[in-house]
This record gives sequence, structure tokens and C-alpha cells, in this order.
Amino acid sequence: MADIVLSNVHKVYGHVVAVKDINLDIKDREFVVLVGPSGCGKSTTLRMIAGLEEISGGTIAIGGRVVNHLQPKDRDIAMVFQNYALYQHMSVRDNLAFGLRNRRVPPAEIAAAVSRAARILSIEALLDRRPYQLSGGQQQRVALGRCIVRNPKVFLFDEPLSNLDAQLRAQMRLELKELRLRVPTTSIFVTHDQTEAMTLGDRIVVMKDGFVQQVGTPLELYRRPANRFVASFIGSPSMNFLTVNVTADGDHFSLACRELRFRLPTGRFPDLGSRVGRSVCVGVRPQHIRLGAPANEKHIAFKGTVMVTEQLGDEQLLAVRLGDSEIRIAGVDPDLTLPTGSQIEAAVATDNLHFFDELGETH
Amino acid sequence: MKDVAAAPARSKGFFSSLAPRGRTVFFALTAVAVCLLFAFPVFWLVLTSLRPGTGVYYVHRGTEFTIDNFHDVLSQEIVIKALFNSFMISTLATLLSLGVTATSGYMLSRFKGPIPNTWFSLIYIFRCVPYVAWVLPLYFVTQRLNIFDSYWGLVLPHVAVHICFFSWIMKGFFDGIDPSMEYAAMIDGCSRWGAFWRVAMPAAIPGLTALAILCWLYTWNEFLFALILTAHETPILTVVMAQFVHELGMEWHLMSATAVIALGPALIVTLFGQRYVIRGLRI
Repeated sequence: MADIVLSNVHKVYGHVVAVKDINLDIKDREFVVLVGPSGCGKSTTLRMIAGLEEISGGTIAIGGRVVNHLQPKDRDIAMVFQNYALYQHMSVRDNLAFGLRNRRVPPAEIAAAVSRAARILSIEALLDRRPYQLSGGQQQRVALGRCIVRNPKVFLFDEPLSNLDAQLRAQMRLELKELRLRVPTTSIFVTHDQTEAMTLGDRIVVMKDGFVQQVGTPLELYRRPANRFVASFIGSPSMNFLTVNVTADGDHFSLACRELRFRLPTGRFPDLGSRVGRSVCVGVRPQHIRLGAPANEKHIAFKGTVMVTEQLGDEQLLAVRLGDSEIRIAGVDPDLTLPTGSQIEAAVATDNLHFFDELGETH
Repeated sequence: MKDVAAAPARSKGFFSSLAPRGRTVFFALTAVAVCLLFAFPVFWLVLTSLRPGTGVYYVHRGTEFTIDNFHDVLSQEIVIKALFNSFMISTLATLLSLGVTATSGYMLSRFKGPIPNTWFSLIYIFRCVPYVAWVLPLYFVTQRLNIFDSYWGLVLPHVAVHICFFSWIMKGFFDGIDPSMEYAAMIDGCSRWGAFWRVAMPAAIPGLTALAILCWLYTWNEFLFALILTAHETPILTVVMAQFVHELGMEWHLMSATAVIALGPALIVTLFGQRYVIRGLRI
């Protein structure tokens, strides 16, 4: 069993709060992704779990044992770093064997573990090379090998794919998923890339300014974002937002933003009742907007002016001017010709609307 | 349009106005001139060392050459002793300096807090003190500690100077080495000290080699400390060399021969180490 429990963990540098009261319960063999923009505290959290950073308060337990004051070497963890952190003066074989030699494992066992790891990662041919003779992808595989060779309780990944080019990154993502099947181990993966987070994580922890904004499965985060920040961070292209004033109008709520005006039945949007007379942020994903007239009364329609089109081959992305706001529309037919300045009509199902308070983030 | 046309004309300097071939010739001639500037004193020194005592003032005219000067110099016990002492002191000072500057540079590079800050300020202050100002206090200190005119009486002051001058360079070397390699080692089972010794130090070998060469040459060529902090018991080569100028006259030919002999080890160290010095100073 190697579950990880973070209880009220916080980190302070002088007067700067880097991580504020994180509570997180990671189950055995679960793959959790910490995601957020630069400076959100995700790497600091990971380094505190690794023991590379002292914690200012709270407790961290790995496998039921509080590790607050344990050295990194005594926590039975392995870590992959952003820049691979391979020992440049050692061969790949020695890099893999280093951790086992430190633990005084018999040489025969070391050789067996190294060849097993090399076989899993297809790096058998590279064992006698030095790290500087390897490509970025190969170095990353060696770094992964250095982790799995020790069979630790926990894998920690600190943005391991961000130094790779886009194509290699996509390939390594797949390899990481395959590796998870072969070597199921509790893992924490830090990234600023929401695609990596969505594709790799069993659960995702979205962080901003040292606070956890939401914890959930990729679909939960995509479908039910807790606040505006999570909604904008998860999903690509980013969610569209419009600030509207809510008023009650008989059995409908009226949402108005300058010349735009929508009506929503009160029965289906009970949450809006408490927001009458206030400003609310309406969010809608670019993928959920369809060109053309609304199909039924469960859709709302609007008109806009095409500003920019981006051709992706299988779809087009549109930037559309809507009053004094600009929204993005995805999944547009790639064969459709939409010159700049042309008027379009679009509709969105009311089920796909998200409502956020203006200051809905956790601070 | 006027501005656009004027811009390239303004940027056209002396070098860009030369043809590619002319530029190559210009740089080659400059390189030769610089080499001559540095090589000429050495050439003149070797020439003087090969001239008889009477011909040193007419080096450019005479045709008489001899190796008797080398024979004379090497038959003097004090020169042999000085060669040995200089070699030993340079080597000892280098080894000790490397030990201290490597740990000091590592601390300055990796740790933050009051202790590294105080250490940093301290060596900064000592670095600001003029070199010559150290000598007199050191003379009294070595006298008091009974190490005047001994190996330690010269090695320790040299190490002190090296710490102030080379800790900064060593810090630069370690700054260039990714600390995540040490973190990886700490997770792989090393203590902080183990990570330093087994991962950071091997990665710093080019830098350490460069520093070793600089330290060795610095001590080998040093004159002022050797002059003040030693006497008859521990003759040092640079001081012995200077003693060929005495009240009875100046024996330039013998001084030059000793200098040429002193050049030998320095040349070997430089030739062996230049690859490392360039690589080390680049990281």
C-alpha cells in the first residue's frame, strides 16, 4: 500500500505563501496530476512530497507513515525531473544502477533489474552510452528507467515532457500510459499543460496561487468546473466567458449583456435564483457552439461578426465579435468559407452553459 | 526611404568594408602581432640564457652561444633545493586550495542563508584588500606561529589568497551544473554530502582541473609572499632567481637560465591543462 495523504500542508518563503493548506488523499496506484500556471505551487508541493523542500506546516504521509522529517532517500520514492537530471559522468547502465548500488543490492540483482527496466523502455542498445550521446526522448526514457529500476512506492514527475518537442511529447504521453499498465505505482505528475493533465491523470488537481481550485477526474473538471479559473484552464480552446446581469422575468431569468439578451426558464436553472440582480459570468465551451439557427427552445441563439478564421484541416476555429466581446467557436466545417466581417448566426444548448460568480476562485 | 537607405551606410564599419580575403589577412596579421608581443620576451629570455656572461648586453649582435649557464645554475645546491621547494609548495597549496574552494564554492552556489551570506561578504572584503597589504601581517603571524620560513608558512597564506580569489570561480562552475542532478542523487539514496561528492564533484572536474592549473601556476610564479615569508631554510625559485642581482653586479645570464628552467614545469602544466582550462572556464 502506498497511498499519499497531504493534510493542511503549507509552505512559506519569508512572507510569501507558496502553498496554502493543501489537503489531498491519493490512493494506492492512483495517477494524480497537479496542474496550474507557473508559480501556482505545484512543483513546490511535489518537492515537499519528495523531501527536497521542507514543509512549513501540516503533515505528509506515504503508505501510512508520516515522512515530514525523513530524508528524500528514506521516503522510498523516485522522481523524474524536467531536464532529466541524468548523471552526466556515468553510462546509462550506471545511471540505472546508481540507486540500487546505494542501497547495497547484490550485483546480480542489480544487473537483472537494470536489464528488466531497459527491456520495458526499449533502451537495451543504449546501456553503454553516456547521457550526452542520447536524444531528448532517449534521455527521458533513461530517467524513467532510473525510477522503475528501484521499484519504489511512489513515482514523482516534475514536468518531465516539457523539454520535448510536440511530436515526441505526444509519443511519450502514450509511452507513459503504457508504462502505467506495466508498472502500476502511485504517481504524482506535475505539468502546466492541460492536455497532459487530461490524458494522463486518473484525477487532476488544479492549482492557482498556492491554492487548490478543484480536485476531480478529467471529465468532472471538464463538465463541472468549480470556478471560472478551472473552466478557463481545462479545455482547448479555452472556454468563452460573458459577464451578464441577471434579472427575474416571470417564469424566466433574463440575462443581459449590452445588446445581447437571453431568456432561461427558472425551473431548469434554480441556481440562478440567488444571483438575481447581480453580475454573473456565463461560460460556454467553443465546441458547444454550433453555427446556424437554434434547433429547439432548449437552445439560445446569437449573431456575431467573424473576425478571424483558423483552418486546422479537420475543423475551423472562429474568433467572432459579439457586442464588445470576442468569443471562439470550434468544430466549424472546414469547407465553409467565412470571410472576415461576415455575419453569422450561432446557437448553444442551454445545458452547456456554465455560471460562475465573478470572484469564484479559492483565495 | 531616406532613413532606410542611410541605416546600412551608418552600420558599415572598417571590418565590413574589407573584402572577405582582406578580413582574413587582417585577422591573421593581428594574431601574429599579438603572439609576437607575448612570445618576444620569452624568446629574448631564452636567447640571453644561451649567451656567455659577457655577451648578455649584446644579445642582438653576438653569435657566441653556450649552455654553460644552465650547467652553472644546476650545479648550485640552492637552485635545486628551490626547484624542489617551489614544486612542493605549489602542489600542496593547489591540493589544499581545491579542497577548500570546492566546498566553499559549492556552498555559495547552492545554499542561501546567514552563513553563506557572511562567508560571501568575508571573502569579498578580503578580496578588496590590496595583495601587498597582506604581507606584513602575515610575516608577524607566521613568526608567531613558528611556521616562518617553512612549507606551511608559505602554503597557508597562499591557500588563504586562493580561497578569496577562486571561491568565486568555483561558485560559477557549480552554478553551471544543474542542481536537479544532486536532487536525483539524494532521492537515489545519497545524503547531501554524498550527492556533492559523488555527483556534483565529478561533474565539476573540468572546472576543478582548470582551477588546479591556475592555482599551481599562481603559486609557482608568486614572488612577494615567497620573498617576505621565507629565508635561508626554504629557498623558493622566484626569490633565488632575483638573488642573481646582488651587490657585485647583475648575472643576467644565470638569472635567465634559471628562469628558463622554471619555465619548463609551468609549460608542461599549461600544455597539459590548456584543454581543461578552456573547457572549465566555459562551463
